[in-house]
Amino acid sequence: MSRFEGVNYKRPALLLILMNIFGFGLLFVANDYNKNILYIGLGILGFFILTYTIIILCRMGDKFIVPMACMLITMGVILLCRINIDYGIKQIMWVALGCVTFFLAYAIYYNFKYWHRLWFLYAIGATALFLATLIFGKTVNGSKNWIQFGSSFAFQPSELTKMLYIMFLACYFSKSWSAPVGKIPPKYISLGITYLFIGFLVLQRDWGTILVLYSIYIFMLYVYEEGYKFLIANIGAASIVAILGYKFLYHIQVRVSTWLDPWSDISNTGYQITQSLFAIASGGYFGRGIGNGSPNYIPEVHSDFIFAAVCEEMGVFGGAAIIILFFLIAYRCFKISIKTTNAYDKAVCFGLTIMFAMQTFIIVGGVTKMIPLTGITLPFVSYGGTSIVVSFASLGVIQAISAKAERGKNEKAGDRDEH
Amino acid sequence: MNINKKIIRVLVVIALMFLSLVTYLLYFNMFSAEKVASNPYNKRQWEDERYVIRGSIYDCNGEVLAKTEVNGDERTRVYPYGHLYSHVIGYYSKVYGKSQLEMKYDKELLGHGDISINFNELRSGYDLHLTIDNDLQSYAYDQLNGRNGAVVALEPSTGKILAMVSYPDFNPSASALEQNWNSIVERKDSPLLARATNGLYAPGSTYKIATTVAAYNAGYATQTFEDNGSFKLDDFKVENYGGKSYGNIDLKTAFEVSSNAVFCSLGYELGSENILSNAEAFGINKDINTDIPVAKSKIEYKKMSNADAALVSIGQGQLLMTPLHVAMMGASVANNGSMMKPYLVDSITTSSGMTIGTAKQESLSVPMSSMCAGYLNELMTGVVKEGTGKGAAISGITVAGKTGTAENETDKDHAWFVGYAPAENPQIAVAVLLEYDGGAGGTNAAPIARNIIRRYLK
Repeated sequence: MSRFEGVNYKRPALLLILMNIFGFGLLFVANDYNKNILYIGLGILGFFILTYTIIILCRMGDKFIVPMACMLITMGVILLCRINIDYGIKQIMWVALGCVTFFLAYAIYYNFKYWHRLWFLYAIGATALFLATLIFGKTVNGSKNWIQFGSSFAFQPSELTKMLYIMFLACYFSKSWSAPVGKIPPKYISLGITYLFIGFLVLQRDWGTILVLYSIYIFMLYVYEEGYKFLIANIGAASIVAILGYKFLYHIQVRVSTWLDPWSDISNTGYQITQSLFAIASGGYFGRGIGNGSPNYIPEVHSDFIFAAVCEEMGVFGGAAIIILFFLIAYRCFKISIKTTNAYDKAVCFGLTIMFAMQTFIIVGGVTKMIPLTGITLPFVSYGGTSIVVSFASLGVIQAISAKAERGKNEKAGDRDEH
Repeated sequence: MNINKKIIRVLVVIALMFLSLVTYLLYFNMFSAEKVASNPYNKRQWEDERYVIRGSIYDCNGEVLAKTEVNGDERTRVYPYGHLYSHVIGYYSKVYGKSQLEMKYDKELLGHGDISINFNELRSGYDLHLTIDNDLQSYAYDQLNGRNGAVVALEPSTGKILAMVSYPDFNPSASALEQNWNSIVERKDSPLLARATNGLYAPGSTYKIATTVAAYNAGYATQTFEDNGSFKLDDFKVENYGGKSYGNIDLKTAFEVSSNAVFCSLGYELGSENILSNAEAFGINKDINTDIPVAKSKIEYKKMSNADAALVSIGQGQLLMTPLHVAMMGASVANNGSMMKPYLVDSITTSSGMTIGTAKQESLSVPMSSMCAGYLNELMTGVVKEGTGKGAAISGITVAGKTGTAENETDKDHAWFVGYAPAENPQIAVAVLLEYDGGAGGTNAAPIARNIIRRYLK
């Protein structure tokens, strides 16, 4: 650790600023000098500098996750501006709200001491959100996972439930919650809640979120359970359910068959994925250049399919850069999780990391046809208010955990000095 | 186990997953992206059209063979000679994609790589200048006169394709294609098959050119052979064409009369390895990379026996060749034994006439020594003077050639002729194939080659 403490944290910041200036400058020229693009670029730059300065000055823990996340946001916003300037403008507002959420989440998580005792609140909160989605939900792209408020504001509760679910699981896995309810031990309650949530998600046909939730559960089981029997039993049960689902659920069959061969029905079921593949294939190694491609042929390009647009305009290497950024974020987060001595913080940080990593893997693998496509947002890059705000909130929590870990260590070191 | 250790393992798993994403992305881009991007459903392909006038295609004398007409936003690809170039230039349809030169030179025709910048102005793609002589092409088409088959004319010293006709053909204009596609595809005689380059046929006795090279190298040129009308082995018998027998003859006479008995026994004696390696020296079982797709000529045996070698030596058995390849075989004799790579696109120019690229002439292989080529020249001249190829003789010009009448799965033989002229200083090599013609190569195919040679040399 000590080797990294001396790392120059200014260089990544300067790189990011440079990327902003070039990216938005280029877009400004290419888009007939639309001043809005400059404002958006300046906005992002402003938010980043402000956030980063506060993090450095207030010693808020890890110094590298935020610049990397901001890099992803920059790439995302550049593409969104290019796809449709309105998305760019709205996204920058969400980023503003996200920055506020980031500090709020940081402050609340840092100062509130009783997170590990509130498992029932998380479970009830998440269940309430699921029920609300089922009752008030609106179907978008085949998944019923939006709640509409008024005419202009829609909210995707599943983004928030992922976070609640992680905090719930962390209560159990950190052993802060060991008292059985009635006669049922927490191990089976957490199991039951997991499958209950998956059941809700099946009703909503939100397959991507199911994969994310389930992989969080499985990875946490692997890390925290003694022995592998329970883990293997769970994976076995899941495989059986998956096979049954494939046999009896039309929606899953369609997804698998379009994955195996999207070309036989290009104009219908294979349309989305083939448009995405056309975009990636047309981009080549270095892309067609920002503003030169035609990402608008891809349906949902601003949200789930934004990675295809990245590949078209910034090339395979641009896409690889995004994947590597996500990996580096995951790496830093795992590191925080390892350094943390507080068991609950460790579990929360681990869960959130798996959430980011799996979400990236599922959607990037999906739009490149490596795995069957399940719609889910690419964190920080995709357009979407809930996605951005919740990602920032998660980041705030991780940041708080890293700050706690660092300061805890310093305090201990201080203690040692006194003795 | 320690929780932190397990977390590190999970980190490794996540790292592998992300690595697999990057690997897959690179793999996709390396191996399947090109095919995916050229799918006709990829609308991007037609985008450039809005800003670019697709380049024109000219013959060697500047005759327009393909051009794009602009009418407001509408673009029409026009082929002034209609059917004539359907198997050379190909088609260009938003529904069915592109073929032949239109496909292979798509980027050039759209002027990709052009660094000049002009705003709100139509850019012009690059123009292709072909080696094809439109006059000879039309003439060859008339000579085929509606018979199914192919004619290929090459310049032996360079590999330039002077004319290349495949029949039946189709109207390549996009509107005609989109209207007639189903009937074209369903027609039994496959008009979409470019016979000259993608049709695979038994070359029949024209292949005796290659066998003679193997025999010459093995020292058979001075021997005499006993021809009693047929070649017999335990389980099969090959007879001379027309059932004739020629008695005691030398290799030259055997070649001129196209004796199956002599050439089968030659092939049998030379053995399968020799015959196969000789064939490979002629480019059989090898890809020919040229401006349009060419099928691979091949000898297909799991294990080739000497009896198989006897059949291959007279161009039968499991030996199949494209008419283009047969023409190349003839041209290599004309070019002192060196087989030139055939090509169609001579140069690429900008619309203002600046040359961007010219074709590189290269030798694919040297299947025979120049001594051997001189010997074969003598033999092939003899074929036209007093052998089976008299139908190709032209007064005042020495024509060299070889006829072929190839048996196939039907009872109607393919008629072949391959030759070149003038024998002293070859300017043109021609291969003619009449598919399922039923007649002899010497009577049906040779006159077509003669007329084409005469037309070209006049």
